[in-house]
Amino acid sequence: MEENILEIKRLTKHFGGVHAVQNLSVVFARGAITGIIGPNGSGKTTLVNLLTGMLPMDGGVIVSDGATLRRMRAHEARFYGITRTFQNIRLFEQMTVLDNLLVVLTERRVFASLFERHGAYHLKKAEALLRQVGLWEKHNELALHLSYGQRKLLEIARAIGTDARVFLFDEPFAGLFPEMREIVKRQLEALREQGAAVLLIEHNTELIRQLSDYVVVLDSGKLLAEGKPESVLRRRDVLEAYLGE
Amino acid sequence: MEYVIHLSIVSGIVAILGMSLNLIVGYTGLLSVAHAAFYGIGAYVTAILLAGFGVNFFLALLLGMALAAAVALLIGLVLSRFDDDYYVLASLGLNIIIYSVFLNWNTLTRGPLGIPGISRPELGIGGYRFGLTSNFSFLVLTLLCAVLVYLAARFITRSSFGRVLMAIREDEQALQVFGYRTVYYKLAIFVIGAVMAAVAGALFASYITFIDPTSFMLRESIFMLSVIILGGLANTNGAVAGAVILVVLPELLRFVGLPSNIAAQMRLLLYGLALVLLMIYRPQGLFGKYRL
Amino acid sequence: MDLFVQLTINGVIAGAIYALIALGFALIFGVTKFFNLAHGAVAVVGGYAAFFFLEHAGLGVLPAAALAVCVAGMVGFALHKTVFLPLRRRQATNLVLLIAALGLLTVIQALIAMFFGSQFHPLSQFAGAQEVYRIAGGAITLVQLIIIISALAVFGLLTLFLKKTKFGKAVKAIGDDEEVAQIVGINTHAIIGYVFFIGSAIAGLGGVLVGFDTGIEPTMGLSLLLKGIIAAIVGGVGSLSGAVLGAFLLGLAENLGIWHISGEWKDAIAFGILIFFLIWRPRGILPR
Repeated sequence: MEENILEIKRLTKHFGGVHAVQNLSVVFARGAITGIIGPNGSGKTTLVNLLTGMLPMDGGVIVSDGATLRRMRAHEARFYGITRTFQNIRLFEQMTVLDNLLVVLTERRVFASLFERHGAYHLKKAEALLRQVGLWEKHNELALHLSYGQRKLLEIARAIGTDARVFLFDEPFAGLFPEMREIVKRQLEALREQGAAVLLIEHNTELIRQLSDYVVVLDSGKLLAEGKPESVLRRRDVLEAYLGE
Repeated sequence: MEYVIHLSIVSGIVAILGMSLNLIVGYTGLLSVAHAAFYGIGAYVTAILLAGFGVNFFLALLLGMALAAAVALLIGLVLSRFDDDYYVLASLGLNIIIYSVFLNWNTLTRGPLGIPGISRPELGIGGYRFGLTSNFSFLVLTLLCAVLVYLAARFITRSSFGRVLMAIREDEQALQVFGYRTVYYKLAIFVIGAVMAAVAGALFASYITFIDPTSFMLRESIFMLSVIILGGLANTNGAVAGAVILVVLPELLRFVGLPSNIAAQMRLLLYGLALVLLMIYRPQGLFGKYRL
Repeated sequence: MDLFVQLTINGVIAGAIYALIALGFALIFGVTKFFNLAHGAVAVVGGYAAFFFLEHAGLGVLPAAALAVCVAGMVGFALHKTVFLPLRRRQATNLVLLIAALGLLTVIQALIAMFFGSQFHPLSQFAGAQEVYRIAGGAITLVQLIIIISALAVFGLLTLFLKKTKFGKAVKAIGDDEEVAQIVGINTHAIIGYVFFIGSAIAGLGGVLVGFDTGIEPTMGLSLLLKGIIAAIVGGVGSLSGAVLGAFLLGLAENLGIWHISGEWKDAIAFGILIFFLIWRPRGILPR
């Protein structure tokens, strides 16, 4: 069990009468990419929001490194080594590309941050991350001036910059050109290599087959199936859930 | 020459207000229209201590800053529960509440009568006393304060703290996921801004030597907002430029020969028009680095 | 006991005035979803238009009041056309709209002060001596009675109108979702324009009646507006019955509060109530 760094048990969230996530229990392994698939509205993004404290959970627990959490608040996600990207891209729009990265690298304490200037160390790290996704040339541009694909890449670089151990990628490939997809793939694989737990929400089953070590299928907030991609993606109920969309 | 000195002093005071409000509105995206309240607290503490108790100006200034900080902490806590339009509305209400304290706490503030006879600052160096009674020496003091506030604003905005403020403005919730307890940052900058506004208030009280509640009405908060929106949000230089423009421009109206009551209304007309036109044609202001 | 009766009557009168401002504000908020701070300005416009028609055009009280209400409506419509519509077309944020509205309020109050002076004008001088009625030991003037009746009548008619007509259904549809309303073929810009006219005319009526009850001054726009907003929020943002309920509660709270606290603290009480509601019940008593 010790290699599992994130586990959810009986996680539940409802909006009014709608059960967005119901009694969901899943283990996300270290050094592996866990693909999360399911039709729209099956609770994938809600799950990410619960894990990062952006929504309060209604029931169940999150187990992170052995600590059992009955609630998670947004600012605590980093403490538990969890970070994310957003399906609808949430950058700090009217800030430069460089500042978008520096802000996740610098001091978190209020008073100390007042007396901190970003130093050579932060700059070097930011530069390395931006080069990794091919955005260094743009580092002085405002985030809102980037193209759609570049914005997605910047979000991914920002997540990687946080030193998290659990990465929640909410549709990182959606709408990307093939060469940018390759960049994203390389990032995900590198994170797996480094022993992180990577959660990948993705509609493209081909990508899921290629990348993930384990697949979790959600339907109406419930666990429909889980297992190795080759076996899960053959299952009839899984295909029906998708085709029924 | 006296007139130029007068305008420079007023510009300096307004520039301090603009720079400090810009930290709250322009950098952090908290659209507060309660700034005149802290300006008023600085002015009233100075006025009461100077006129009533003969306390030294600089001590009164410090006490005014401290009281403004304490009140800002309370108000900031209340405001931390709101976003966007509700933030504006709540801050507006709080400005009016503080204003009614100035207006109605007669035993302390003398209410609508105001406080006359506020003295100019005095420096005592080793038994030798030197009063800043001439307008020129007061200008030097004002500019000194303005420069200090300017440097402090630059220090803040160029620190990691300043970057966090901007990120709060852009997407507070996303920033929290990256491990920031944003509410503390918002409180901190609100208090810092209020303390700076209190400095402006102390200077104003001591310069005019008379204050009454009308100088700290909601109207003044709106004026400060036009200063920074005109000069440009999230730009300290822009706040200074906005202050000078909005102080000097209405004065030109006097040279056109308008009667003073009309000129006063023209001033208001100008601020209001600036806000409307800027929102329509140039929401980032003249030198702004942030568009609402 | 007499004091209590009188304070209650005063509270109801104040509530009726706030209701007239809050109704228009809530109506406009219902379709545009932004805090139209310029709404106070149209109330002042109404008051001063009545003053102009009475003093300079020599009209009788009723025609002057009717024309003034129309003028207020037209000014509201014009503000929508020239400022808010262009801003909304380009998807300006609520804050931009709010600041523009704040600017408009400042501009209109300043313009009125320039043309009419900033002194206080009681309009009752044009109406002759007023009858005073006595109810249970309290006094109420004819104008004050008219204020209460108009507030209730406007509320009744407006609610009926919105419920029964196609226009009302369109207003509701826009309030629920402007984009969807547009897709199903509602001319949203035109409807919102009419809503601005109606809402502003109601505020204008409020301004005229305040003028006859006490008097008008250019800066009354802001204070009327703020009370209207507080009423609308306390009652339940965007709901008409909420606005009226909030208005009467606010009027009563302010006036009965004087019983124990001196009258100068009226505004502080009102805003204290606002902050209380914003924190603990931001959707008001009767949420939409």
